[in-house]
Amino acid sequence: MDLEDVEDMLFITPSSQESFDNLWDEDFYDEETLDVADNEYESDDDLFDAPLDVTADSWQLLSSSPLLTPADASIALQDDMVMGGSGDCLGSVEVLSVEVGKRMPRDRHWVIARLEAMLERIVDGLLEGSERLTLTLNSRAGISRRQPVAKISFEAAPAPKVRQISFPGSSAQEALNFTILLRIIELVHGGLVDNTIMTKRDIYYRHPDLFVKQAVVDRYVDDLACTLGISRSKLNVTAAAKGLVAGCFTINREDGTQFDGMNGKEGLLVPKIGEKDRLDLTRVRWILVIEKEATFRSLLSATQWEKLGLDGLVLTAKGYPDVASRSFLRQLTDHAPHVPIYAFVDLDPDGIAILSTYKYGSYRLAHENVAPKDTPALSLPNLRWLGVKRHHISRVPVNESGTDTSAMPELQGLMKLTARDRTKATRMLEWNLCCETGPEQEWRRELQTMLMLNVKAELQILEELPGGVVSFLSTKLGQMEETEIDVVANPACSDDGLLF
Amino acid sequence: MSKQYLTLHTVDNAHPKASDIFAVAPTPTQLLSASGSSSINVYDTTQPDFPLVQTLDKAHPLGIHHLVTAKESTARRAASAGFEGKVKVWSQGDDGLWIEDGEIVDQHKPGEIWAIALSADGQYLASSSINGKINVWSLDKAQSFPRIREYETKGSFGLCVALSDNGSFTASGHENGSIYVFSNETGRLVHSLAGLVHPVRSVAFSPASKLLAAGGDARVIALYDVTSGEQVANFTGHGGWVLTLDWSNTGEYLLSGSHDSKAKVWRIETRACVATHSHGDKPLWTAKWLPKAPTKSEMFALGGGNNSISFYREAAG
Repeated sequence: MDLEDVEDMLFITPSSQESFDNLWDEDFYDEETLDVADNEYESDDDLFDAPLDVTADSWQLLSSSPLLTPADASIALQDDMVMGGSGDCLGSVEVLSVEVGKRMPRDRHWVIARLEAMLERIVDGLLEGSERLTLTLNSRAGISRRQPVAKISFEAAPAPKVRQISFPGSSAQEALNFTILLRIIELVHGGLVDNTIMTKRDIYYRHPDLFVKQAVVDRYVDDLACTLGISRSKLNVTAAAKGLVAGCFTINREDGTQFDGMNGKEGLLVPKIGEKDRLDLTRVRWILVIEKEATFRSLLSATQWEKLGLDGLVLTAKGYPDVASRSFLRQLTDHAPHVPIYAFVDLDPDGIAILSTYKYGSYRLAHENVAPKDTPALSLPNLRWLGVKRHHISRVPVNESGTDTSAMPELQGLMKLTARDRTKATRMLEWNLCCETGPEQEWRRELQTMLMLNVKAELQILEELPGGVVSFLSTKLGQMEETEIDVVANPACSDDGLLF
Repeated sequence: MSKQYLTLHTVDNAHPKASDIFAVAPTPTQLLSASGSSSINVYDTTQPDFPLVQTLDKAHPLGIHHLVTAKESTARRAASAGFEGKVKVWSQGDDGLWIEDGEIVDQHKPGEIWAIALSADGQYLASSSINGKINVWSLDKAQSFPRIREYETKGSFGLCVALSDNGSFTASGHENGSIYVFSNETGRLVHSLAGLVHPVRSVAFSPASKLLAAGGDARVIALYDVTSGEQVANFTGHGGWVLTLDWSNTGEYLLSGSHDSKAKVWRIETRACVATHSHGDKPLWTAKWLPKAPTKSEMFALGGGNNSISFYREAAG
């Protein structure tokens, strides 16, 4: 546990280790964890179980800080923020007045103007003595992959849901949400005006009493980006980098400095690769994405890493990947499309969900998928599933008659599924990726097997094999290279040797 | 003395998309199969090539984990349980075709039903659930399949359930190794059987309802006397978890299937394994004897993770 985690524990009181581990997980808002059905979307507000203490203090703090600072006044837009109907994020932004003529680039000034417009309406409402002030938000927060298969291709991003948040609203909770959102708009606006970049954590710590949980900030920042139809980085908000990387690659920066992937014994924070930086992947023969930090560190501290590290690159995003990690991987694969990327995740519903987030992107953050050049940016369609799979952990007969029962010890690391695991596995069977006619049949079968046996396995289970996880990985990576399987033709990877 | 069984026929790629075959269930003339795909296949077992004669499409959209048929030839009843949580009841009409007859709906907590079993006459269905509860339902359609028995257990996941042929008993096997026998007449627990500490994945009553076989992760098959509750035998030999058990028609033999893809036939009298067969390299989820036809030799069917159904027949002589 590092210092960050300790801080988190001080400010947040997670009800379970699970929710704590999920702190940085983008899928923390999974309706499954909230125990909320899709059509009860509004009750997602239950997430914000902060004490309903809309004190005069919070409100005063807000009113004393300037809502509007002089922005670049050269751009004036008629803003109609009413997003009625079913339009998606991009379609709802019909704001151009006739004089402007062409579509404005959504740069910093554009975003500032939009935010100011939102705030102006609130101020107008106050001046006019309106009974209620309203902010409208587009959100993909509650959306999962459970779409009717026939209707939506699994590549299209789903339309976001439109929410109105009013003050004073219909409940104290809504008033609180309004306050939170307004504060976030103000903070983001300030960052844009100053042209400074904040992390989501920075925003949170500006007013932790109000926000109470990091997750609250994360969600509203994402919704704000979705509402404006831009990526979060255009709000000048980035996720704190949580991924770690190590391997035989370098980045030569524009200013002459060099990022060397082999530096340090514990991996390096996932770097940003700027447009002018030069990436050197010539020695990289494979890229391995590992779900768990512990396994990543094990690998780096093993003696085999001296050799392994000369051939490849390993990355961990410590669970569900953040945008920075996915973006980094995307840049790697764009730069070196022939280098295979493997994922090594737990054999449980979350593991497969993490695999799917890397491979197909996150539905909730679908608006992050659009790169500046409007190309689909953050999915990794060629990602291969290295393991853990069930045939890695199941017993095989040691001789023909199979009567020798004492030959190998049972793996101790198998665990029972929790109720949440089962619910998640069942819901994942509804995903259009894993449905009967979907593209990921192997995932479907593993999920069904998990439900049948009520058993899951974490990466650590491979420590029970001779040589542990590291030997397993060395062997596997070596095998994959030798046989060079076409992943499309043979998703079952029949080259996998039975290990025991 | 060992027995010889020969592969009679194999249906490869039985279900679409390489799904696991989780259950096969026989009738006197047919074999029904269910898998990770949404449909149930019906094969004619009276023909040498076992043709597919009916497909019950989209029975359960997320896949089917349990499928059972009633033993008696007049019953013409089947039931299936899907990953989405529903249990469907099927009836075979005079034309031989199966149609959906309704659903078992658990008013208290929908979606928790796991394993199912049908009585020999097809009038009752027993179910286990994730929270350990065992229920017995009457398949009286006029009354909308009411629940007639509800047995509470200690809360461990009920992995398997069985109904004795004489209708008197319900047995359940649980994740914590517990095995319970309930009397359907009195509605009370009769035995809590000891001996298997690991998850029990299959329980089966002998045809005479005198013995109960149970097996699971312990890899040992335990045999109990139903009246006294005493363990009377242990069959060792499986190298992997025991996933499925089935008694032959006369009760002389027990057929078992394991996670390591092996099937074994055990002679009860001598407590010995008399045959072992491999079924691919994936878990053998289901192994069932076919009802014995008068002039034919014993047959059984195996289904597993390799998406094929193999039919075996006892070698003559």
